[in-house]
Amino acid sequence: MLKLKLNHKDDLFKFILSIFVFGIILIFFTVVTVILYYSYPAVSRFGIAFLWTKEWNPPKEIFGAATFIAGTFMVTIIALIFAIPLSLGIGIFLEEYCPKFLKGFFTIIIELLAGIPSVVFGVWGVLTIVPWLRKYIEPFFKSHFSFIPFLQVTENIGYGILAASIVVAFMVVPIIASITKDSLAAVPKITKDGALAMGATRLDVIKDISLPFSYRGIYGGIILGFGRAVGETIAVVLLIGNQAIIPKSIFGVGYTISAVLANTFTFAVISPIYASSEVELALILLLVSLIVNIIGRNVLQKVIGGKLSRAQFGGG
Amino acid sequence: MTDINKNNIDNITENNKDEIKIEVKNLNFNYGDYHLLKDINLFFKKNSVCTILGPSGCGKSSFLRTLNRMNDYTEGSKLTGEVLLDGKNIYSKSVDVVELRRNVGMVFQSPNPFPKTIFENVAFGLKIHGIKNKQFIEERVEKCLKYAGLFDEVKDKLHKNAFSLSGGQQQRLCIARAIATNPSVLLMDEPTAYLDPAATATILDLIADFKKFYTIIIVSHNIQQAGRISDYSGFFLDGELIEFSKSGDFFTRPKDKRTENFITNRF
Ligand SMILES: Nc1ncnc2c1ncn2[C@@H]1O[C@H](COP(=O)(O)OP(=O)(O)OP(=O)(O)O)[C@@H](O)[C@H]1O
Ligand SMILES: [Mg+2]
Repeated sequence: MLKLKLNHKDDLFKFILSIFVFGIILIFFTVVTVILYYSYPAVSRFGIAFLWTKEWNPPKEIFGAATFIAGTFMVTIIALIFAIPLSLGIGIFLEEYCPKFLKGFFTIIIELLAGIPSVVFGVWGVLTIVPWLRKYIEPFFKSHFSFIPFLQVTENIGYGILAASIVVAFMVVPIIASITKDSLAAVPKITKDGALAMGATRLDVIKDISLPFSYRGIYGGIILGFGRAVGETIAVVLLIGNQAIIPKSIFGVGYTISAVLANTFTFAVISPIYASSEVELALILLLVSLIVNIIGRNVLQKVIGGKLSRAQFGGG
Repeated sequence: MTDINKNNIDNITENNKDEIKIEVKNLNFNYGDYHLLKDINLFFKKNSVCTILGPSGCGKSSFLRTLNRMNDYTEGSKLTGEVLLDGKNIYSKSVDVVELRRNVGMVFQSPNPFPKTIFENVAFGLKIHGIKNKQFIEERVEKCLKYAGLFDEVKDKLHKNAFSLSGGQQQRLCIARAIATNPSVLLMDEPTAYLDPAATATILDLIADFKKFYTIIIVSHNIQQAGRISDYSGFFLDGELIEFSKSGDFFTRPKDKRTENFITNRF
C-alpha cells in the first residue's frame, strides 16, 4: 500500500477507496475501544457480580445488571417464540405454495415491513397491542390461568414484557421469513422433483427434502432475528413499562438493557460510576450482538450465495 | 404429420395389442401460450426399451414428464389428449397421482439423491407409501441396491450420507430408489448425461437387464447408445413426433428425411 504509484489515476482511486475502508475499520475499533474504556471503572468496581446483582440504585451507587439482562432475555425469547413459527410458515408458504404473481407482492410487503422504523412499530403497539392485552387477554388469563407460573396477571395495564415481545416479534418476522424463503429457494429443484416423482406430496417434500436441505440457512436467519430482538430499543421503551425489576410473569412490567440506556444515559453522565455502569450495560449488548451476528452470518454464508455444500446436509 | 404417426402406430398394432403398456393419444401440451407438444400419438410396449431422440429444446423432457404427471405442478401448463397406462387414462379425475408415481418411476438427468443416508434414500418411496415393516424395508433396500449393481460398493456404509458417493454411484442409487416401490414403468431423462464412459456403460448394462421387469422409456442425446440398447426409437422435432418405429428400421431405414438427417449428422 505504501508503494502506491500515485501518478496512475487508477491507483489514486484505489488509494482513496482504501482510506474509506480503513475509516470504517477505524470506526468499528473506536466504538469497541471507547465502550471498553468507559466501562472499565464499573467493571473493576463491581466485577463479575455485576451480571447477577439485582439492585440498580443510582443514589446509593449500587449497580447490577440482572434485572435488565432478565428483561432483555425474556423479551427476546418470547418474541422468538412468536416469530419463529410465523416466519417459517410465511417463508414456506411463499416458496412452496404461493402462486407466482402473489409471491412478488408478498415479498415486497415483507421488505417494506422490515424497513418500518421501530418507533412506528412502538407507537402502533401502544395503540393496538396494549389495549387489546388490557381489555381481553389479561382479564382472560387472570380468570382462567392465574395458577400457572409466569402467566399471572397482577397489574392488568397492558404494558409489559408481553406487549414488548409481541411488537418485537413483528419486527423480527420479516428477517426470519425472508431468509427462510431464500434458503428454501436454494434447494435444488431436481431434488424436489425427485421426491415428487416418487409419489411424495408437497408436504412430504417440505418435511423430508426442503427443510433438511435448508435448515442451516433458517437457523442462521433465526440467529440474525435474535440479534435484532436483543438490541431493539425504541419500541421496547414505549411498551415494556420501564421498571428495573425481574418480571415474575410475562404480563409483568420490566426493563431491557437497550431501554434503560435510551431512557437514562443522558442523566447518568452526572456521576462517573453511574455512567460507567451504563456503559458496561452497553458493552454486554455489544458483545452479545457481535457474537450473535458473527455466528448467524457464518451459518448463512455456508448456505446461501450459491455455495450449497451438499455434502454437509442430512443425516449421514 | 398425423398420417405418419398413424402409420407408425399401425405397424406396431400388428403385434399383440395386449402387450401395450402405455398408449399416448392426441397429446397436446402447453407452457402457458407456448404450444410445445403437438398431437403426439404412440405406444410403448410392455418390457421394451424405447429411446426418445431429438435436438435440444424439442420437448423430450416435457414429453417424459407428461407420462407421470410431473407437469401437474408447473404453473400455466395445459394438457389435452390421453395417456393410457394399462388402458386407464392417467389424467382422469379418479387417478391417484401418488399411486401413479409409485407405478411409474423416474430417473433424472443428473443424480439427485436426497439429503439423507444411502439406506434412507432407497427406503424413501416405501415410507412415502406407508410401509412401516422394518424387516420388509431392509430386505427391499438390499434387493434394490443389488439390482442396481451398487450393493457391494455400499454395503458397509448404508448409513452414510448419499452425497458421499461418486456421481455414477449416486445415479445407480437413484435407480435403486426408483425401483424400490416396485414400478412397472421406468422413465429416464438422459440418465448418463453427466457420467464418465465407465459409469455410463454400467448403467446401460443395467437398463438392458431391467427390460425383464419394466417398460423403459429413455431420453437420450446419444444416437449410438440408443441404437444399441433400445427396441423402439422415437424422434421429436419442435414438439412433434416425426418418426416412431422399431430401432432396427429407425436407424437403417428412416422414413422421414428429417430423421435421416438427424441420425446421419450425428453418426
Ligand atoms: N417450466 C417451463 N416453463 C416454460 N417453458 C418451458 C418449461 N420447461 C421447458 N420449457 C420450454 O419447453 C421447450 C422444451 O423443453 P424440454 O426441456 O422439454 O426440451 P428437451 O428436448 O428435453 O431439451 P434438452 O435436450 O435440452 O433437455 C424449451 O423451449 C423450454 O424452454
Ligand atoms: Mg431435457
